[in-house]
Amino acid sequence: MSFFGFGQSADIEIVLDGTENRKMAEIKSEDGKKERHFLYYDGETVSGKVNVTLKKPGSKLEHQGIKIEFVGQIELYYDRGNHHEFTSLVKELARPGELMQNTLYAFEFLNVEKPFESYTGSNVRLRYFLRVTIVRRLSDVVKEEDIIVHTLSSYPDMNNSIKMEVGIEDCLHIEFEYNKSKYHLKDVIVGKIYFLLVRIKIKNMEIAIIKRETTGSGPNTFTENETIAKYEIMDGAPVRGESIPIRVFLAGYDLTPSMRDINKKFSVRYYLNLVLMDDEDRRYFKQQEITLWRKGEKTRKNLQTSATSPQLPPLMTGGTESFIPAQNHTSDPKNPTGTIEDMKRDMDEEEHSSNLTVPAVGDASSTNLTADGMDE
Amino acid sequence: MFNLFQLVLVLGDLHIPHRCSSLPAKFKKLLVPGRIQHILCTGNLCTKESYDYLKTLASDVHVVRGDFDENLNYPEQKVVTVGQFRIGLCHGHQVVPWGEPDSLALIQRQLDVDILISGHTHKFEAYEQENKFYINPGSATGAYNPLDTSIIPSFVLMDIQSSTVVTYVYQLVGDEVKVERIEYKKS
Amino acid sequence: MPMTPQLSPVEDQEKLLGEALGVVKTQALQMKMCLDRSKLMDGLKHASTMLGELRTSLLSPKSYYELYMAITDELRHLELYLFDEFQKGRKVADLYELVQYAGNIVPRLYLLITVGLVYIKTNTCLKRNLLKDMVEMCRGVQHPLRGLFLRNYLLQCTRNVLPDVAEPEDESEGSVKDSIDFVLMNFAEMNKLWVRMQHQGHSRDRERREREREELRILVGTNLVRLSQLETVNLDKYKKLVLPGILEQVVSCRDAIAQEYLMECIIQVFPDEFHLQTLHAFLKSCAELQTGVNVKNIIISLIDRLATFSQRADSAVGSAGIPSDVRLFDVFSDQVATIIQSRQDMPPEDIVSLQVSLVNLAHKCYPDRVDYVDKVLLTTVQIFQKMNVDRIEYNTAVSRELTRLMRIPVDNYNNLLTVLQLQHYGPLLDLFDYHGRKNLAAYLVTNALENETLVPTQEQVDAVLTMLSPLIQDQSDQPPGEEDPEDFAEEQSLLGRFIHHLRSDIPDQQYLILSTARKHFGAGGNQRIKYTLPPIVFQAYQLAFKYRTLSNEDEVWEKKCQKIFQFCHQTITALIKAELAELPLRLFLQGAIAVARMEFENHETVAYEFMSQAFSLYEDEISDSKAQLAAITLIVATFEQMSCFSEENHEPLRTQCALAASKLLKKPDQCRGVATCSHLFWSGKNVATKGQEMHEGKRVLECLKKGVRIGNQCMDPSVQVQLFVELLNHYIYFYEKDNNQVTVQMLNQLISKIREELPNLEANEETEQINKHFTNTLEHLRNRLESPESEGLSYDGLIL
Repeated sequence: MSFFGFGQSADIEIVLDGTENRKMAEIKSEDGKKERHFLYYDGETVSGKVNVTLKKPGSKLEHQGIKIEFVGQIELYYDRGNHHEFTSLVKELARPGELMQNTLYAFEFLNVEKPFESYTGSNVRLRYFLRVTIVRRLSDVVKEEDIIVHTLSSYPDMNNSIKMEVGIEDCLHIEFEYNKSKYHLKDVIVGKIYFLLVRIKIKNMEIAIIKRETTGSGPNTFTENETIAKYEIMDGAPVRGESIPIRVFLAGYDLTPSMRDINKKFSVRYYLNLVLMDDEDRRYFKQQEITLWRKGEKTRKNLQTSATSPQLPPLMTGGTESFIPAQNHTSDPKNPTGTIEDMKRDMDEEEHSSNLTVPAVGDASSTNLTADGMDE
Repeated sequence: MFNLFQLVLVLGDLHIPHRCSSLPAKFKKLLVPGRIQHILCTGNLCTKESYDYLKTLASDVHVVRGDFDENLNYPEQKVVTVGQFRIGLCHGHQVVPWGEPDSLALIQRQLDVDILISGHTHKFEAYEQENKFYINPGSATGAYNPLDTSIIPSFVLMDIQSSTVVTYVYQLVGDEVKVERIEYKKS
Repeated sequence: MPMTPQLSPVEDQEKLLGEALGVVKTQALQMKMCLDRSKLMDGLKHASTMLGELRTSLLSPKSYYELYMAITDELRHLELYLFDEFQKGRKVADLYELVQYAGNIVPRLYLLITVGLVYIKTNTCLKRNLLKDMVEMCRGVQHPLRGLFLRNYLLQCTRNVLPDVAEPEDESEGSVKDSIDFVLMNFAEMNKLWVRMQHQGHSRDRERREREREELRILVGTNLVRLSQLETVNLDKYKKLVLPGILEQVVSCRDAIAQEYLMECIIQVFPDEFHLQTLHAFLKSCAELQTGVNVKNIIISLIDRLATFSQRADSAVGSAGIPSDVRLFDVFSDQVATIIQSRQDMPPEDIVSLQVSLVNLAHKCYPDRVDYVDKVLLTTVQIFQKMNVDRIEYNTAVSRELTRLMRIPVDNYNNLLTVLQLQHYGPLLDLFDYHGRKNLAAYLVTNALENETLVPTQEQVDAVLTMLSPLIQDQSDQPPGEEDPEDFAEEQSLLGRFIHHLRSDIPDQQYLILSTARKHFGAGGNQRIKYTLPPIVFQAYQLAFKYRTLSNEDEVWEKKCQKIFQFCHQTITALIKAELAELPLRLFLQGAIAVARMEFENHETVAYEFMSQAFSLYEDEISDSKAQLAAITLIVATFEQMSCFSEENHEPLRTQCALAASKLLKKPDQCRGVATCSHLFWSGKNVATKGQEMHEGKRVLECLKKGVRIGNQCMDPSVQVQLFVELLNHYIYFYEKDNNQVTVQMLNQLISKIREELPNLEANEETEQINKHFTNTLEHLRNRLESPESEGLSYDGLIL
């Protein structure tokens, strides 16, 4: 960089080691474009070489030192000035002095901790990069190189299914069940909806995957909901006793692992929203949080070896063992998930609230009814 | 009417229901509607149903009165012309002695016919006398007759073509229908 | 898109369908273009858009069907393309998963099925799992019309790939059991959707909905057809898996339209061999159907099939027929009873209809088991008892059905005697009112006549005639008023004919039969007996002849004959009491001839009695002159035939004849009467002449002369000439018979007399006839003159 139009300048190139065997991953940049970078995992050594190429051969470059940093930082878009670095490692490549020729420096951050996953959201970004700086008196020569970090999790020890009876008093009682509460990113959500009482004319039912990004804290909390997927799982009106299968493949959607309170700066949570629409276009929904996690690629590869065979996760409906006849159906009061909760009516899309025969329920935290109270 | 070829069914003395329950089944099978142009019946049909039955076989049915016919509209004698033939019809219980050729000849002369058909004796006869033809078709049901204990059910079919009559006699002998042919030519 | 279908008029439907088909056409074209360029993903997108048209709620079932056909036709291209690609080894990873990202469920599932089929075809080890998966995923479409068609697509696509082996080598290829599960589940779901249609929308649209359901029922029924096409489904599997699965769904859906159709479907699509072994289950389910279901039709349909099957099996060589361990009748009988009991609302005519089908079954499958038929009749009697019905009115629905029931044994046995063996036939018959009983009685008689059924014992005759009593005698419940005379005559002559069927070859038995018949028919009243007693009399005459032929074997035949004629005498006298004259007269004459032919002791006396009875009737009862002439002519002609009389009896009778003839009211009748009588003196026979003709020429001539005298007294010249011509013929007759009392001069006299009078007659048709008669007479004489030698008699001196 020749800010004053004179003097020596240099190009910096960061060449990572072992790139021929390293995977690349995609991530959205702030402006929504997709970028590809090399992919690293937590604890992996990040090493490579820094190539400093002088722009004017033969002329020397004076500097106050050359360093390389490994930075992990969180950028909140509404607070551009402050980048919160949660990781910052520095290696000195050269002491202050003069560079007479193009020079190659090797660097290595050994077993570096990368606690979080790279992430680009609506209000926040978490990124890792290497930054080489040639410190100079007037203007530094800086070069950044982004990498992507994926946080791998092992199979969760506890992965209960999500099972719940919800409803609107005397109008609609359903029981839904998702086979897990924690899904990896290439996972399949398998579940079923069992209709216990249907007195409204249902037009269809869909499942939406909603991503909720929360940034900040206290009064400065920002929450951004994004519907990642809308997936119709039922067409038409079922009658009491019907059991509708759910199967949603996650791999096709743009998902990240769930993130909780990352460096006290932000969270990314995922919800499954079950939405029923009646034939007057009123919507009834129930949100249920799920945890997404990233699984190591290796196992996934094994699955892919039989590409000709479609992946057929066992369905929850069908077969006599999973079929619950209406008259035999009782909720287990000991099961904490076996309570009936009120479904929410989506007020945003409601236009004819005066016509309602259904008592409107405004808040998710409204009273939980016990199973006994709802028993028919 | 110009008909080169005419079939005339001659039958009588059915005596249903007095002496018989019905025509022999084998005769009924032979008698199909639409083949026969005229029916000459010597009488003793006894009931309307028997007459109606004949009507199903041919529309032109002529009946004379037998001794057991109650229908007073049947004449004692009748003359029917078929082709070139004048045919006389008379039951015969009025002719004394019954069935005697010389007595029947009296009727033939009176009616001025080429063929005289009579019944009553329940016995088939066909003969020519003085160039006149006499037919007795017998009893189509083989009805009981106290004077003759071996009655054979019979009827006659006359095929009349110009001046010739070919007579076919159908007799139920045992369980078999036997047919004989007798020809008569008008001089 | 509004959910409630706005039923559009026809044009609207056409317009909507037209638009949808337009989209289909465009999208299909683009899909094919993409596929041609191997752009599979784009191709799938167009397919999905095309399939999106099937999400409509606006089309009627008929239009939706057309749209469905057009779209599935296009989907074939996709299927073929994928199949080709897969065959070439160009396998698309996770295609089955890929198509499941389609956001809308209807297009998604159509694609899923299409792709799934390609997977199955190219890799049979996926079959079992994929079939399960697809049929399960289809649950997502709960809209009846869309769901029905989607599942129909599934059924159509999989029709050739359903596993049909009992034990697969590779379990993942599936066994027939998987196929059964697959189709049964699809069936149950489709049926539920179909039934649900009934409960949607306004009640005022019910008729239309039911019509639409009718149009769609074949979609549901196809499942059963598919099950029936599985070759590995043997009896055991049918019994344990298929049928229970179907029946459970049919019963539990509690929808009358579905139940009626599906039960019928089961009957029609599965083989009779299976039905035979699963009757219990099937019929038990029948009892559990909704009240609106016409169970009667279902059972009748099944019975008819099995009955036909048993007959077909009988005729086919080596065919199994009804296995001996299947107690077909008992099963049906019990189950029908259960059904009747469980359905209190069943109208009585339907209950009887069921009995009708049971009787049909018994007849077709167990033709020898009269007891089965009798059991049904008993059951029917008991049913009416339970309902407290003791009279069934004519022309009601029950009466019509019950009549049908009663006619079946008649039509099937074609033997009145077998019907008679049915103990409960009579009691059931008694339930009908007068018209009903009479109709059935006539039916029974007609059947016996048509089949020439003979009733050979007295007891049977008694039983039959008791059963037929509505025809034979007045009934206590008979409505007042005259019956149609023609109908009455027809009925009664049926009975008359039937009497000839009451016949035993054993003469003594025959006598008992006739006596019994006489008792029954004798009580018929004046209107009936003229039809029914004459046949008895004639039968009795014939019986007498029979005894005569047995004279060598039966010592007391003469006594029996006497008794028979006594019987006849009484019977004829009964007719006289009914104020009949001509008929008894003729019957007496017939009896007289019969007696005359039998040389039993006393026969002359009996013959004389019969003749004198005839004379009495003639004198006392016949007053019409024409009838008188006819009667006396018949008496004379009859008498002429009899040779049994001694001169002592013969003389007064023939004199009586001549006297009666001469006493006729009208001159022409007198003339003809005496001319007829002349024969008595010529060919008449008696004991004295030893059966030879008596040839009393003088008395003959007296008669003829008397005839001429009477003729002369006739005032009408035309009648007079006619009589003379007739008399001339009588003269000629006797002349040719060698009666030497008749001379050529007498002939000449008559001829000239006629010649004299004839020209004076008015020229008319009658005269022409007389002329002809005369000419013919002369012609006859001329013939004789020309060939005198042949006859051995001479007409010397005849003037022609």
